[in-house]
Amino acid sequence: MRIFDPHIHMTSRTTNDYEAMYAAGVRAVVEPAFWLGQPRTCVGSFTDYFDSLIGWERFRAAQFGIRHHCTLALNPKEANDPRCVPVLDALPRYLAKDGVVAVGEVGYDSMTAAEDDAFARQLQLATEHDLPVLVHTPHRDKVAGTTRSLDVIREAGLPPTRVLIDHLTELTVAAVRESGCWMGYSLYPDTKMDPPRMTKILLEYGTERMLVNSAADWGRSDPLMTAATARLMLEAGFDASDVDTVLWRNPVEFYAQSGRLNLEPLPGPEPGGASFAGNSVLRGTRDARDATK
Amino acid sequence: MASRLSALGLAVVVETGARYLLDPWTKHHPTLVSDGWLRRVDFLRRAIRVAADLGAECVSFFSGALPPGTDPELARTRLIDALPQVIEEAVARGVPLGLEPEPGHVVERLDDALALRAALGEPETLGITLDVGHCVAVETDDAATCLRRAGKLLVNVQLDDMPRGVHEHREFGEGELDLPATLAALAEIGYPGLASVELPRHSHAAPLIARRALTALQRAAATAPAAWLELAVKEIRADPARVRALLPAAGREVGRGSLCPSRDPQGLVHGTVEDAARAQLLRALPPGTLATELPELYRYGDDAEKRGVLRALPDLDPAPEIGLPLIQDALRTNDIRLVAAAMGEYAGAHLDQHSWRHGVLKCVFVGVPLAAVARWRERVDAELRRMVTDYAEECRAAGREVAPDAHRLLGGA
Repeated sequence: MRIFDPHIHMTSRTTNDYEAMYAAGVRAVVEPAFWLGQPRTCVGSFTDYFDSLIGWERFRAAQFGIRHHCTLALNPKEANDPRCVPVLDALPRYLAKDGVVAVGEVGYDSMTAAEDDAFARQLQLATEHDLPVLVHTPHRDKVAGTTRSLDVIREAGLPPTRVLIDHLTELTVAAVRESGCWMGYSLYPDTKMDPPRMTKILLEYGTERMLVNSAADWGRSDPLMTAATARLMLEAGFDASDVDTVLWRNPVEFYAQSGRLNLEPLPGPEPGGASFAGNSVLRGTRDARDATK
Repeated sequence: MASRLSALGLAVVVETGARYLLDPWTKHHPTLVSDGWLRRVDFLRRAIRVAADLGAECVSFFSGALPPGTDPELARTRLIDALPQVIEEAVARGVPLGLEPEPGHVVERLDDALALRAALGEPETLGITLDVGHCVAVETDDAATCLRRAGKLLVNVQLDDMPRGVHEHREFGEGELDLPATLAALAEIGYPGLASVELPRHSHAAPLIARRALTALQRAAATAPAAWLELAVKEIRADPARVRALLPAAGREVGRGSLCPSRDPQGLVHGTVEDAARAQLLRALPPGTLATELPELYRYGDDAEKRGVLRALPDLDPAPEIGLPLIQDALRTNDIRLVAAAMGEYAGAHLDQHSWRHGVLKCVFVGVPLAAVARWRERVDAELRRMVTDYAEECRAAGREVAPDAHRLLGGA
């Protein structure tokens, strides 16, 4: 089984996670830029984070046989902090980089005017850079937030095939399906979805435009939720091809619209000699296994 | 004739094969390596004067084949004796020379030409002529790689196709030359000179064959990645801020990997394909924008972009207060590709002696080949030798091998 996790925050995860993910079949991930738990207070804090998403983390993942990509944006929560908003001026440079496969996560947190503004500006940037968009739907007031997001996207004139709406639940799936956008589900213990509910949604709506992710980060979360969902799908009567559609072909098709997806197989995790800026994850010698190749 | 050429907008290269010209019985004789080589020197000096009058791009010449029964060492000595006189005339007249590696000759491959040039003390006037068909016939690397390796030394290019191992000038498509890749390489290195189709045996059908050649060239030039690069350069000239989006895209568009894969697999000495493309994008920036744009491009660049900026520094030659902070930043990293790129010609020319010594020691320490360090022969001093000696002792004390480059630094001053 091959797995593409289209939403996971590897910066917050350990090398043990990388090894377990590789063993479970994960060969490619997308890491969206998001809130760090601890609020940022300046633009430099964002750009250093972006640098690590296009540099060090991509390199680290490659050491474990996993292709790493990212989506970059000012997240909805921090769009409300005037100290953070000027990062939108630095964003265009970063949207041109290798490994950046979408603009995201954008969308709403508390549905403020500042969020409206950042959302609209970043949809515009996505059009300018010919990139798809990853939209976060709010944890609170989710149904209203999702509907409003769909309205904003429609008004911006973005083709729905280039938009992925994430963190969906039973209550938001129908509207997004109707819109023509791609549908993402975060299998995140307690607060978002779980594998049994996910399987039920797939049984009801089918596998078309459906993506499953772990959204694993610094909170209580599990990077193997994708594999767990796959197992449950098989138990529920889906065949291997259905599983491959949801866990590989759909995310590949969506993010390949960026033209920057790299799925060349890498050697698996092994004590190697690779280093990034001279720093080896494995504390080995030189000779980079180049994540950009 | 010079005014007629200029009126028609034609550039010209003076070729010096001289078939049956100096000797009516023996083709191309005498050569620089045969008996009577002084007559060839005299002939070349005359060609240089003609080239000066014409405003020619260069005088192109070959070494000659080793005459039967001649000692190869003698041939080499003759070249070393003969060429300074030719070079002297070329310097006096301001005419570049293009030494052409020729299948079957004493100087047969690019490496032979580069070695001879080194033996002569790398005179600036002595450039290289490359026939891309010859590259297919006798070189290990493909023509595109040879062109990139010749790089700045290139003064004249001859275009034709050839099968591997056979010296036979053919029309495009009738041999094994990758024409789009060859043209892309010329674009990448920013070759400014003449690239002319050389089909000496096809004069009987010249108009037809010239038309076919032109069509083949246009078709090849229209294919990526040369087309992307050319377009990108134009975009940057029109709107310099576009470099911020185009510089990161270079690797995706033109490809990656060492310019010289057989000798320099990691591109530490000669750089990579994308480095060369990025240098071209940076050259398209108006000089007035460099002071603000370069530091920003470096700051916001990923590792590959940073390397591209560093490798372009000698060419762009920004003021030291702009260029040196970038070099110093790269030398603080432990990324061997950045360290190697930082220790090139720009650091060789501008970096203070203390930082430069530490840069060299770092190269030895992390395994960047000394060949990547510009001007080390002239800049190595007693203090650096002391540092390297201490380092070597440390290696021995720890039971580790002393890097060969450490020995070269100690002995090779």
